[in-house]
Amino acid sequence: MSTQLTLQAPLDVPPAEVYPYLDRLWNHGLEGTTGAATFTLLIWEPSWLEQQMVRIGRIEGPIRGLERDDLIEAARLITADCDLPFSTAPMDPRLAWKVGQLEGQLEAQDLRGQFIPNAISVHTPRRLITLVPTLDASQSLETMVAAYCPLPDEGGAGAACGDAIVLRGGMEALRQGLPLIQPLIDEALPCWVWWNSSLDEPPEMLEALAPLPRRLVIDTSLGQPARCLDVLVERIEAGQAVNDLNWLRLRSWRESLAMVFDPPSRRDALAHVVQLDIDVEGDHPVKGLLLTAWMADRLGWHLIDSSPAEEPGGINAEFQRTDGTTVRFRQMPVPVGLPKAHPGAIVGLRLICEPADRPALCVILCSESGGCMRLESGGMAAMELVEEVVPLPEENEEMEMARLLGGGHDTTNPLLASAAPLAATILPR
Amino acid sequence: MTTLLTNPLRVGLRQERVITPQCIVIFGASGDLTHRKLVPALFELFRQRRLPSEFAVLGCARRPWSDEEFRSKMGEALANEIADHPSAWEQFSQGLFYEPVDLQQADHLVRLGQRLEGIDRLRATRGNRTFYLSVSPEFYGSGCRALAAAGLLADAERSRVVIEKPFGRDYGSAQQLNKVVQACAKESQVFRIDHYLGKETVQNILVMRFANTIFEPIWNRNYIANVQITAAETVGVEDRAGYYESSGALRDMVQNHLTQILALTAMEPPGRFDAEAIRNEKAKVLQAARLANEDEPWKCCVRGQYSSGGSRARPLSGYRQEPGVNANSTTETYVAMKLFINNWRWQGVPFYLRTGKRLPKRLSEVVLTFRQAPVHLFDAAGGAPTPNQLILRIQPDEGAEIKFEVKAPGSGMRSRPVDMGFSYDDSFGEPSDEGYVRLLADAMLGDPTLYTRSDEVEAAWRLYTPLLELIEESPWQLPVHPYEARTWGPAAADSLLGDDGLGWRRP
Repeated sequence: MSTQLTLQAPLDVPPAEVYPYLDRLWNHGLEGTTGAATFTLLIWEPSWLEQQMVRIGRIEGPIRGLERDDLIEAARLITADCDLPFSTAPMDPRLAWKVGQLEGQLEAQDLRGQFIPNAISVHTPRRLITLVPTLDASQSLETMVAAYCPLPDEGGAGAACGDAIVLRGGMEALRQGLPLIQPLIDEALPCWVWWNSSLDEPPEMLEALAPLPRRLVIDTSLGQPARCLDVLVERIEAGQAVNDLNWLRLRSWRESLAMVFDPPSRRDALAHVVQLDIDVEGDHPVKGLLLTAWMADRLGWHLIDSSPAEEPGGINAEFQRTDGTTVRFRQMPVPVGLPKAHPGAIVGLRLICEPADRPALCVILCSESGGCMRLESGGMAAMELVEEVVPLPEENEEMEMARLLGGGHDTTNPLLASAAPLAATILPR
Repeated sequence: MTTLLTNPLRVGLRQERVITPQCIVIFGASGDLTHRKLVPALFELFRQRRLPSEFAVLGCARRPWSDEEFRSKMGEALANEIADHPSAWEQFSQGLFYEPVDLQQADHLVRLGQRLEGIDRLRATRGNRTFYLSVSPEFYGSGCRALAAAGLLADAERSRVVIEKPFGRDYGSAQQLNKVVQACAKESQVFRIDHYLGKETVQNILVMRFANTIFEPIWNRNYIANVQITAAETVGVEDRAGYYESSGALRDMVQNHLTQILALTAMEPPGRFDAEAIRNEKAKVLQAARLANEDEPWKCCVRGQYSSGGSRARPLSGYRQEPGVNANSTTETYVAMKLFINNWRWQGVPFYLRTGKRLPKRLSEVVLTFRQAPVHLFDAAGGAPTPNQLILRIQPDEGAEIKFEVKAPGSGMRSRPVDMGFSYDDSFGEPSDEGYVRLLADAMLGDPTLYTRSDEVEAAWRLYTPLLELIEESPWQLPVHPYEARTWGPAAADSLLGDDGLGWRRP
């Protein structure tokens, strides 16, 4: 996916001058256009890993804040140097912290907030506000402003449709700059807040940036599992429209499983599930639990009990079906040589159904890049076997985000809203 | 055991784009289409969470209804749906409004503008408006002019106009109407609706062709011998005699629905999936289409009209005996024709189109018949090997089917034909949305991919101009052959293919 720079070179404007400058820009400098009546996108963009990797010279600058292939590749290579397991996902916040302990003082240009992915810019955000904390915690606040417009695919210049504002500085400076933000948000338009970082970061910033009724986008694969699920559930229960990129990345798993039961001849089996097994990468269980909770909610299962498995990182649970039968659930972390970018990716799923008067049905879904040997073993010879490979679309954060913006939903997805509290309950505390 | 229950894992998986805050203004709101199709489609979109809370429907017609009367009438029409979803209707109906409007009265348009501003404030619809002209076709042009004169189409980004079929009566009137409409609004604001394009299975023609690699290499004159497109109805003219008498099957079905299917079947692959790329290809293929014999068009077209038939228990009256129909009517209720497409892909491949009322089955399908194998190595159970066919079933029993030869069991090497089928019901088991649901959503999202562009409409009319002129100027050259109700049309239609050594597929 190509990206584009802002239409004009971003202008350094003193913090106190940002609002007056924008007022002058739209009312005088860009006469004849009022800008797009779309939405404001407010992004928390620390890019800790990218900043640290540039600092120690493992990747080259400039720092752009976008998910980039060379960063993922370099992160996979440095895992061993950081004394972390091979299964550690490149975006795991622990890796960024470990890299932060390595020596290096290289500097690079910081262009965060100035690259707008095409996938997002086609939705013509009215205003992009990006907060970019620096590694130097004492750095003072800098503010930059630029008008921008997506470049049309087939020639022809478009009128300016929005503006991009960057607030850069150390954490303390950004905290002091928070009062600048509220006046920049047009209350007549929806405002999305993209928390593009770990949920373990100090909660005050998230609280300050994402009050109701702003629509929040988080990623529950980044941060302590309990903290991730708690934030998700609290926000949903507070009535906020919450989107979770980790949940969105489950799309192909949900779709593949639903496809297995699309033929009416198989649907009855769903009422007779007796066992569910899920394998996940590494030790982050949230994604697997969200998938389990979605299924349990859709199939009307009631959680009876959950506990840590004997094997480290595993989870056992028991559900009760509507007819009172027990469904056994087991989620296991499995080591992988080439982990996905985000922690806790699903490797495989096995569902065993035992309908009355019919042979048992075993459904195995495997990730495109992983094997399912553990799930394929053991006592299924007499069962009808349905085995599918789940495609993993090559989509990055920005494309997921663009899909959300294009969807325009102003409430939490009801499937997520139902699944999240159950997932939080399954997680042993 | 087979179950008809909804797949619980499928519920809610579709996350489609929410329509931007919007007011849809329906002109002709007291008419059939509004309560039979449009408002039910909007209610369905609401239930699918595709409409934002900032949404309103403003019904407009000459009748002096109030908001409450409009809500109540729509409620009566949707009683069954509402019974299943009463709270959804409660919410949805709060966004239904009504304004008495005569599009010919300038002061009514001024009042309409004020009402829309009020609705913008009340429902936060932000000035985004879709005007739906569900009025008599003679008011399409004047309706657009009235909207433009009132400034309601001035904002090309926020206002759109949807125009129902028929778009014109012939090439000349379609050109004229396009000129009027384009003087009032940019092409990007104009959505000419053909509800056939809202059908899942019509859209599936594109997916079958361009999402698979196995079909495209053989989708051409080298492998395909002929193409048949059929749209058969079992019903008669019913209560549409007033309209149908002046239109007939050619204008009512062929120029729009069948021609759109023809275009999707025959078009070149677009470079990307967007409205302009697809409509460019459709327009190009329609511009390359010709009647098989333009100089003597009566040789490549057959018209028919149903006469009485049916069984003794359920007799069916003939077209001329239907209420509202002229007893000497020469309007065709059946038409079959042969076309060619003069381009590299299709040169020499006949396309046979047919449609009719009071035929034995209700069905729409595209049948691609492939060329015979160059050498027959095996005895065929039926005497001669059956040519391979790909059948795209548009309705009912939506799906696709491939016919091919296999070895018949037993000693020897005899071949016999078998079918390999795909059925939407067996694979998905869920009913598709009504076409209007998809089309209304697309219009409000500003996506014209499934709407016809001005050049497409004109190319479609131009294709049939020799026939329309013939019917107008020397109808005796293209007589209306009677056919018994519930038969497959007049014998002359069989001869159209019979002369080429072919026959219509009997579904």
